[in-house]
Amino acid sequence: MHSKQSKWLWAAALFVYAFLYLPLIIVVVYSFNDSKLNAEWVGFTFKWYEILFNDAQMLTAARNTLLIGLVTSICATVLGTLAGLAMHKYKLRLLPLLVLTPIAIPEILMGVSLLIFFVMLNMTLGLVSVTLAHIAFCIGFVAIVVRSRLQGMDESLVEAARDLGATPVQAFRLVTMPLIMPGIIAGALMAFTLSIDDFVITFFTAGAGASTLPLQIYSMIRIAVTPEVNAISTLLMILTLCLILLASKLAPSALRAE
Amino acid sequence: MKKILLALMLAAGTASAEDVLHLYNWNNYIAPETVKNFEKSCKCRVVQDYYGAMEEMLAKLAAGAKGYDVVIPTGFAIPPMVKQNLLQPLDKAKLPNAKNENPAFMNAAFDQGNKYSLPYAFSTTLVGYNDKKIKELGIDPTSWAIIFDPAVLAKIKGKVTVLDDSREVFAAALMYNGFSANSTNPDEWKKAQETIIKAKPFWAAFNGQSYIKELTLGNIWVAHGYSSDMFQANIDAKAAKRAFGVAYGLQKEGNTLSVDNMVVLKTAPRPDLAAKFIDFMLDGKNAAELTNMIGTGTPNAAAAQFVKPEMKQNSAVFPSAEQMKKLQQLTALEGKQLRDLGRLWTQVKTAK
Repeated sequence: MHSKQSKWLWAAALFVYAFLYLPLIIVVVYSFNDSKLNAEWVGFTFKWYEILFNDAQMLTAARNTLLIGLVTSICATVLGTLAGLAMHKYKLRLLPLLVLTPIAIPEILMGVSLLIFFVMLNMTLGLVSVTLAHIAFCIGFVAIVVRSRLQGMDESLVEAARDLGATPVQAFRLVTMPLIMPGIIAGALMAFTLSIDDFVITFFTAGAGASTLPLQIYSMIRIAVTPEVNAISTLLMILTLCLILLASKLAPSALRAE
Repeated sequence: MKKILLALMLAAGTASAEDVLHLYNWNNYIAPETVKNFEKSCKCRVVQDYYGAMEEMLAKLAAGAKGYDVVIPTGFAIPPMVKQNLLQPLDKAKLPNAKNENPAFMNAAFDQGNKYSLPYAFSTTLVGYNDKKIKELGIDPTSWAIIFDPAVLAKIKGKVTVLDDSREVFAAALMYNGFSANSTNPDEWKKAQETIIKAKPFWAAFNGQSYIKELTLGNIWVAHGYSSDMFQANIDAKAAKRAFGVAYGLQKEGNTLSVDNMVVLKTAPRPDLAAKFIDFMLDGKNAAELTNMIGTGTPNAAAAQFVKPEMKQNSAVFPSAEQMKKLQQLTALEGKQLRDLGRLWTQVKTAK
């Protein structure tokens, strides 16, 4: 039955989706516009993508971004999963506080404090310092996702495995891990996306020659948003979309609310 | 995972082994061909990093970030950098091209005797306008009256934007009233505030972001902004084949001037390359490349012969000696003055 109320709900939903997605669609459309201005359609062109792929600075930044994102998501997923397990298994007070604080404190504080810390250690700022900083703030996010997945898990399954003679390691590998896999994958993807679009923390911890795409784009828009920025944004969106599709294939339940 | 980290560290390690100059600059603030030519002449590589605001750069260096050789700060940022012991004095013996600098830009208040810095490029804050409309309406664009006088504004109501920057707007209003842009006299500030409040109803917006685009599209006809932005707006308008151009020039009451300078950090890994780079940029031809590319003014007297002829006549790029006298660099305000200006600005913003 289509009541009047459901029509209104549909309209509201459409409005919200339009608000969320129209700006993104506009960015994609204007990345093909044959004009330097983001204001009116002149003609179709691929030239901004050509410019982008010949822009050595941009390519270095893209390479840095992906490399940092990859290493960050791997390290943060391993450490975050362990932290999530520990928080679930042992009723600790201090650990959740320590792991989750980086999520809650303002990014700028984290960026400046990490910078001062790296300088104190006499570390040369560069890709390594950015990667370490990203791992540090991503662990908490992974841990939360993994822990909530564990909370929804039936504990008796592990007990049954143990009763049947599985060692703790076997029980973890064969029972717990497959069950929480969607959470782990979701955590890894989250770490990856957080890493590729972080600006504030990256700005403070990046050293000479370690620019990432967000740093690059931010410095470019000071002059005005050029279509080259639209082109790189479009590519980033496609990458993110592919990741979400991949996630839904690998772990369908990771994207569903449970 | 360890392998990747190891590879990362190795990559970072090998990068520092070759000859690399690290330049910390605004984006798009050096011509790509200049970078290529310098790399050829010094047999080294230039790696650029960018900041989006002077405050960002200051915060990062103050916290102890290292690894950069040359930074290009705006004048007002130099005294705090000197105070924090971030800069090393320039070795003038290694900078023979410093003689090319226009004396009018040397010896500025922020660095007496150019101990730490040499001017790189400058921009002026002025009025850019739709040349066709302003001519049709018979408005004189060479006076600040174009954004402050209600009689003039009545013809262009809703087609004017001013910078969303208290310091710049107040400086313009002060100069319009015949005061110094750096005045801190409360009565003069009050007078400037009255001027602004009277003009405000005629303005479309305070806009420091998208006025280039608005001018180019013809949505606004007059914008208070930076000379290099007006240059960009005119190029965009031409490219879009508009029926009008974006013109700009200095105001007769005076304009504010911001000069960006080259400095070498105390922690510079390669002070030798830094000196080579600064001397290279002081060569007239190289300095001119930047002006030709983004339309900034050049403090380099030897650049004139290499600058595009149409730009050479532009007073915002090469001000005459007489115009030069009316250009004022904004000095840093002290705590109480800053708070007072903030209060006056809030009153402006909330005035009906």
